[in-house]
Amino acid sequence: MTTSNENKTNMLTKQDLNRAVFHGLGMEWGWTYERQMNLAYFNMVRHALEKIYKDQPEKLHEAMVRNCEFFNITPQLAPFVGGIALAMEEQNAKSDDFDTKSITAIKSALMGPLSGIGDSIFLSGIRIIALGVGIPLCLQGNFLGVVLYFLIYNIPAFWLRFAGIYKGYEIGTGYLDKLKSSGLIDKVMQAASIVGIMVIGAMSITMVYTSVTMQIGSGDTSASLQSVLDGILPGMIPLGVTWLYYWLLGKKKINILWLIIGTIVVGIAGAYFGILG
Amino acid sequence: MTLLQAILCGLVSVYGVFDFALGTLYLNRPIFLSAITGLILGDFKTGIIIGATLELFFMGAVSVGAYIPPDVVVGGVVATALAIVNGYSTEIAITLAMPIALFSLAIGNLITITQPFFLKRADYYADKCDAKGVVRIQWTMGLINCARRFILTFLALYFGATAVEAFVNSIPDWVISGMSAAGGLMPAMGFAMLMRMILTKQILPYYFLGFVLAAYLAMPSLGVAILAVIIVMVKFDFLNPNRSETGEMVNSSTSGGGIDDDF
Repeated sequence: MTTSNENKTNMLTKQDLNRAVFHGLGMEWGWTYERQMNLAYFNMVRHALEKIYKDQPEKLHEAMVRNCEFFNITPQLAPFVGGIALAMEEQNAKSDDFDTKSITAIKSALMGPLSGIGDSIFLSGIRIIALGVGIPLCLQGNFLGVVLYFLIYNIPAFWLRFAGIYKGYEIGTGYLDKLKSSGLIDKVMQAASIVGIMVIGAMSITMVYTSVTMQIGSGDTSASLQSVLDGILPGMIPLGVTWLYYWLLGKKKINILWLIIGTIVVGIAGAYFGILG
Repeated sequence: MTLLQAILCGLVSVYGVFDFALGTLYLNRPIFLSAITGLILGDFKTGIIIGATLELFFMGAVSVGAYIPPDVVVGGVVATALAIVNGYSTEIAITLAMPIALFSLAIGNLITITQPFFLKRADYYADKCDAKGVVRIQWTMGLINCARRFILTFLALYFGATAVEAFVNSIPDWVISGMSAAGGLMPAMGFAMLMRMILTKQILPYYFLGFVLAAYLAMPSLGVAILAVIIVMVKFDFLNPNRSETGEMVNSSTSGGGIDDDF
């Protein structure tokens, strides 16, 4: 058993963290609609969890189940979140009254904002720069263009993975502990979930992209139902669909499998009758 | 095209998925896949040039958030192979490859039906503390996706573009476009799952604030995130040096922040 005066020593070494980065490379490998990168996240932290809860089979069991929950983020930023979460798992191992819900809360609060930032930096930023350098060479048939594209994109990506997990672990062990003891952690968590939910609200309009192609009226006065709906409230369809799922998943406790099948049926029926496109 | 070449091109498509296992290196894009396809078919240089052209075509089709683009992997490899073997222009080759790319996307959406079974299995292993079992599930799902890319690329190239086109054309349009319409709705399911985890009555208004900013002002999500950080900094008074140790906010009425109280 551990005692309280061991609280300051870290259980995970730099090697453990590097190992987590390595096992967490496949963030988009085994991706699902339902829980997205949850298996990849699990794969990233599993060895560290086994080490942290070496002598506590019951807590290990809880941690295994807990770490299978929903996860999604820009892949390069996953180790940063993993570092913070592992530091919190470690505190859970060292104390008996740690609220494990706060681990889930921090993880899910960080996902939205960090994905927004990460996707902008990597996909709209670094990737385009890499292509800008690589493509002109490729158009001349020079393979060096592909090599430069690869390096420009991946050097920052890998640097961020390692730097991220060290920094995240450091923040998790030092800063979060201080915040917790000062009672500030609830505020930080609430602040993070506000930022998270605002980004989710914004993303539900840009990421859901099915449009209603049905026309209303005929001849010169005809208008697509989409433009009519957008005239009332832009993004009405993504908003409605999201809340429909939310309701079905919660109040109705509908199995996700039926939701997927239902969505496909609705999509095909909608296309057949010319409503969706 | 020889059997061996068709198999090797299929393996290029497999790499297009396996790239995710190696850390999303972004070598799952035409810029790399087309070059390797060219190498296999004996015209490396043309492969590189076609890859760059296709990359410009597909620039927008990346996976941002939960948006899944039409299958760039199968579409890109098949188009490159057709262009090199039959001497088509890149534009014609990509037009010919588009049906198979859309078909691959439709099959992919159909495969999502199996995902809940795998996730349930993974939960079972996690409950048994069998970490390796969970990872096996992750790899199984990844490899199923590899298999789909291999089979479609191989069939398209071995039986030829015309045969593929005839086959895809025999499927009614509404099935394919219905599948992609369904694929467009599914990200909403992911958001709903995430909201089930973090949404409370207290923060509900902020969801709609983010939505309205994106809907009416077309503000990108990074802009919304920055604005959200500003809002919480003001709301929780994070910048106030007099903030008490217990986390209680010091009433800052002397600094004249009356408007902020409306939050």
